[in-house]
Amino acid sequence: MSVTAAGLRDRLQNGELRGLLVAPIVLFDLLVFVVPFGYLLRISLTERTQRGAFVEGSWSLEAFQYVLSTPTLIDSFLFTLWFAAGVTALSLGISLLYAYAIWRAAGGLRVALLGGVLVSMLTAIVVKLFAVQQLFAPNGVINQGVLATGVIQEPLALINSAAGAVIGQLYIVVPYSVLAIYSVLSSVDESLLDAARDLGAGRLRAVVEVIIPHTIPGLIVAGVISFTWSVGSFAAPLLAGSSAERTTGIAISDLLQQNFDWAAAAAMGLLVATTVFVALAVTYGLLSYTGGGTDG
Amino acid sequence: MAILEVDSITNSFGSVTAVDDVSLSVEAGELFCLLGPSGCGKSTTLRTIAGFEQPDSGQIRIDGTDVTPTEPNRRDCSMVFQDWALFPNKTVRENVAFGLRMNDVATAQRRQRVDETLSLVEMTDHAEKPPAALSGGQKQRVALARSLAFEPEILLLDEPLSNLDRKLREAMQLEIKSIQRETGMTMVYVTHDQDEAFTLADRIGIINEGHIAQQGPPATVYTDPTNQFVESFLGTTNFITCEVTATTAVEPATPEATDGGTAEIELTTPFGEPLSVPAVDRLSPGDTVTASIRPERVSVVTASSEPPASWLFTATGTVEQRLHRGSRIRYELAVGETTLVTERRIDERLGVDIGDSVAVGCQPEAITYFDAAGRRIR
Repeated sequence: MSVTAAGLRDRLQNGELRGLLVAPIVLFDLLVFVVPFGYLLRISLTERTQRGAFVEGSWSLEAFQYVLSTPTLIDSFLFTLWFAAGVTALSLGISLLYAYAIWRAAGGLRVALLGGVLVSMLTAIVVKLFAVQQLFAPNGVINQGVLATGVIQEPLALINSAAGAVIGQLYIVVPYSVLAIYSVLSSVDESLLDAARDLGAGRLRAVVEVIIPHTIPGLIVAGVISFTWSVGSFAAPLLAGSSAERTTGIAISDLLQQNFDWAAAAAMGLLVATTVFVALAVTYGLLSYTGGGTDG
Repeated sequence: MAILEVDSITNSFGSVTAVDDVSLSVEAGELFCLLGPSGCGKSTTLRTIAGFEQPDSGQIRIDGTDVTPTEPNRRDCSMVFQDWALFPNKTVRENVAFGLRMNDVATAQRRQRVDETLSLVEMTDHAEKPPAALSGGQKQRVALARSLAFEPEILLLDEPLSNLDRKLREAMQLEIKSIQRETGMTMVYVTHDQDEAFTLADRIGIINEGHIAQQGPPATVYTDPTNQFVESFLGTTNFITCEVTATTAVEPATPEATDGGTAEIELTTPFGEPLSVPAVDRLSPGDTVTASIRPERVSVVTASSEPPASWLFTATGTVEQRLHRGSRIRYELAVGETTLVTERRIDERLGVDIGDSVAVGCQPEAITYFDAAGRRIR
């Protein structure tokens, strides 16, 4: 079969070579995702050594054994799951309220609320976390404000604590969550709310009965974003948490930089990645169950 | 007794007054139509009755009780929305059951009531479908059923048929009318379509620029308008701009005037023949008076024949245009400095051609007069 330009075009148009059209994406995935991941997998299966990052060319399950038998690493992994679950729950609650507020607001207020999300999203994480530190510090605006009301006598430990790590992480994930939920909510006809009220539903009940079911696809996407990002969190617990908030991200960083144990770091990384994959698979199942995120 | 009383409500949004001192009352079992051009405030009036808008002033009473501050979910009325607003995540059955569920009707009773209502609107076969699987007409039926199911005192309909094509719309009009007769439901129906209003209404309220221009039975409103807006909004008409000649002409022109008859003011017309209106104080020489003759009430005979003596005036005109419009023919007649339009059914066509000279006139009762402010002169 001759490979002329015209022949190629005909075969493309006939659909014979339709597979070729996805080639760029496949190539991109290969280079950016599969190759580095394979590399990581390979390193996790090498022998650990005191005299370098890992023993090149060796095969061993030693790194996994090490990770799974080291209490501090297991604790770090379990803490990370709890941390991610907590952040996800809070993020969904806050984002749902915020997205609902954007949806119900009109004109300038809607623009301002949306703008707030976008500005936060486009602000560098480190800058944002620095702001969190200032805002929530014992002598920061928030603590001083609450102290002034006399409700508390001592400043709250809103920074350099578990609360700080959660707050910092929320600052990172909430803007994305809000947009995910709002994108679904914005397609909902506001007259549905009127209709529900008209038929006898109170304000809250109208929202729960009619609006929430609509936002489920958005909530799922927001949940995935919040959870996967929090499982891999590094900056927020590092900058806004205390030394007790050792997420897997921090643990891996320590393995890499302090212990110079690349095999164990890679094994730990794979465990985290596998957790995320499982979470995604479950979500995908949920999405197909509820109709794939489209309005049914 | 009136089941719904709207007592001089006014609604403003910023500097715009959408509803301006609107009052109306609807009897139990009556179908009341609010008719008006788009943006006239009829939908706002309906939304205020439903409770979605708070009036700046005035009162809404249902069954004699003031419900002005009452939340929409606590008012005994239900609205059928223009875009139907069916809940997309619920089946037809769940949609119809919604109002009953919110009103805490027991499950068994609820089921029975939903079945009844679905059969009333002939949607029983579609009960388990989601709204997305329905046609426009079917969605319309479900929206109606959803509001009927929990038996509110008053059903409010906000242009419910405007998203349907003409044939379906006409069929649904008859159906709504028959459902209304069957259930005895009180309905307030908002529309911009006068045919729809005339088909459905027991009484009509015509709204213009936020206030009610006239209300009454459809036939009265059409034949006896109180102002120029109503005359122009309901169908087409010929408006003839006339001028008051002199108020000194006010004299009992006929012997009847002495025993309660009317004094008259003379008008000059663009077609040369004078007309006269009953003398009223508000007219002075030079004022403009608009005369209106409906196209179907313009009388025409060929120039060669003798016009009937009963005509109010007789002017000479020329046939300018003859347009066939389905079952009707429309003639445009140049009469003096103005153009009069008349219409005839095909089987009552005039034996005239374009360019023919004709005598034009009308019976005395065919003409109505309005002053410069649009008020009827009678």
